[in-house]
Amino acid sequence: MKLERYLIGGGTLLVFLLAWELCADSGAINPLLISSPSRIAEAGAAAMSDPDFWTDVRVSANEFILGYVAAIIVGVPLGLLLGTSRRLSYIFAPFVDTLNAVPRVALLPLLIIWFGIGIWSKVAVVFLGAVIPILIAALSGVNTNEARFVAMAKSFSASRTKIFLSIILPGTVPYIFTGLKYAAGRALLGVVVGELYASTAGVGRMIADAGNMFQTDTLFFGVLIFTASGLVVVAVLDRLERRFERWRPGVGAPT
Amino acid sequence: MRRFYLQHERAILGAVGIIAFLILWEGFARGWWAELLQPLLGPQAARLQLRPIFISSPTRIARAAFDMIFVTGAIWKDFGWSGLEFTLGVALALAIGIPLGLAAGWYRRLSYAVEPFLTALNATPQVAFLPLLILWVGTGLACRVLIIVLLAVLPIAIGAVAAVRTVDARLIRVARSFSANDALLFRSIILPSSVPFLLAGARLAVGRGMIGIVVGEIYGSAAGIGAMMNQAGSRFETDKVFVGVLAIAVAGVGLVEGLRRIERRVEAWRPQVAA
Repeated sequence: MKLERYLIGGGTLLVFLLAWELCADSGAINPLLISSPSRIAEAGAAAMSDPDFWTDVRVSANEFILGYVAAIIVGVPLGLLLGTSRRLSYIFAPFVDTLNAVPRVALLPLLIIWFGIGIWSKVAVVFLGAVIPILIAALSGVNTNEARFVAMAKSFSASRTKIFLSIILPGTVPYIFTGLKYAAGRALLGVVVGELYASTAGVGRMIADAGNMFQTDTLFFGVLIFTASGLVVVAVLDRLERRFERWRPGVGAPT
Repeated sequence: MRRFYLQHERAILGAVGIIAFLILWEGFARGWWAELLQPLLGPQAARLQLRPIFISSPTRIARAAFDMIFVTGAIWKDFGWSGLEFTLGVALALAIGIPLGLAAGWYRRLSYAVEPFLTALNATPQVAFLPLLILWVGTGLACRVLIIVLLAVLPIAIGAVAAVRTVDARLIRVARSFSANDALLFRSIILPSSVPFLLAGARLAVGRGMIGIVVGEIYGSAAGIGAMMNQAGSRFETDKVFVGVLAIAVAGVGLVEGLRRIERRVEAWRPQVAA
């Protein structure tokens, strides 16, 4: 069963790559436009031995990590706070809703005016992209808490801190992780768009430059870097989530 | 009085928050806070006046919006372009994503075949393909439509796969035992029960489409809301940039609200199951 899945998936991928290579090598489609897997591999090998490429990777990674971590540091506590205080959530609701409705990359022209074209405008757009989903996830995690548990704890005269630490916080963990995964995609998007729009270094910059110079192979290699980072980030978050969720007794059908 | 407050607490507190924020903002631009705290902070207080070129102000934004909507009417042309891109892009994404997703949900082997591609495309920030699209089709309308398709097609397809997978198996078994063929099965069971998933996918796709508009237009385009913001930003016309942000926010909220309405309407026939 599982074997079939891998066979068919891998087979299709292989056929796709072969067809791509053939189209480019036979000249059926101009390789300048579509490159080819072998050319991309060559460009990748060349880039790996180029110190400029590693600078680009480092810049992009810094932008992602700084923005994303700041979003977690702000988003999780603020979401929990807004979730536990009804009044505060009413006051902040219009701002959160508006920011949620605007694609945060639309703020880039402003962020460039405020922070310049260096790394900080990208950190800011990554932060804004990631913080809203994290905040909303934490908030809705608190709101969907099992009311019976809270009532039960109260009748055993548990303090507010105790209730928060032992019922509300553990209950929000799955929600927060859903938010974190979604936010990771938004953060990567911020890195790419920010660098395409205005920057001096970064993998997004590399893609844009390669596009301007018709270096399609380098361009594809840059896109692959982003694909790989997206896959890695989600895999890491999945693993962390399983770790945090290990204590939880399974509900539903055994898997 | 107290009862009125309790009944409308949400709206009142929300309005208070917004008004306080706007006054704070206007005060920074006009130097109210600098003047007010002058005796307390001395010369340091001047720092509390921020140049409008950086932060604009609510009144400036309102004036710019009024100009662009009623006086010059410049915003309507941009709205027209962006709306056209959005409509074409999302329509194409629906036309590709729904059949693909439904088919991949129904035929197991097909889903195995497309899975690696969907996973890879889903992990990639799809906007990274923008320079490639520009190489292929130039910076015109086609490029912006394609980037919207690329962004919006995945949530739609994934929603459609989930829709087919979660169809009540008992319903299908009953239909089969009454010897219904695939076409009938599809029309009378799968399609109706997949509507909520398709609409949820469409709602996500609307958000992705808005991203597509902005990204496609701020990166090498001459027309549309995003292009207007890009040009205004490079001329330091901060108020116009804010008008663009607000226009996008209004359009986004409106579209999502419209889809919710449709959802409720389409779902009206469904018997309630939960409490």
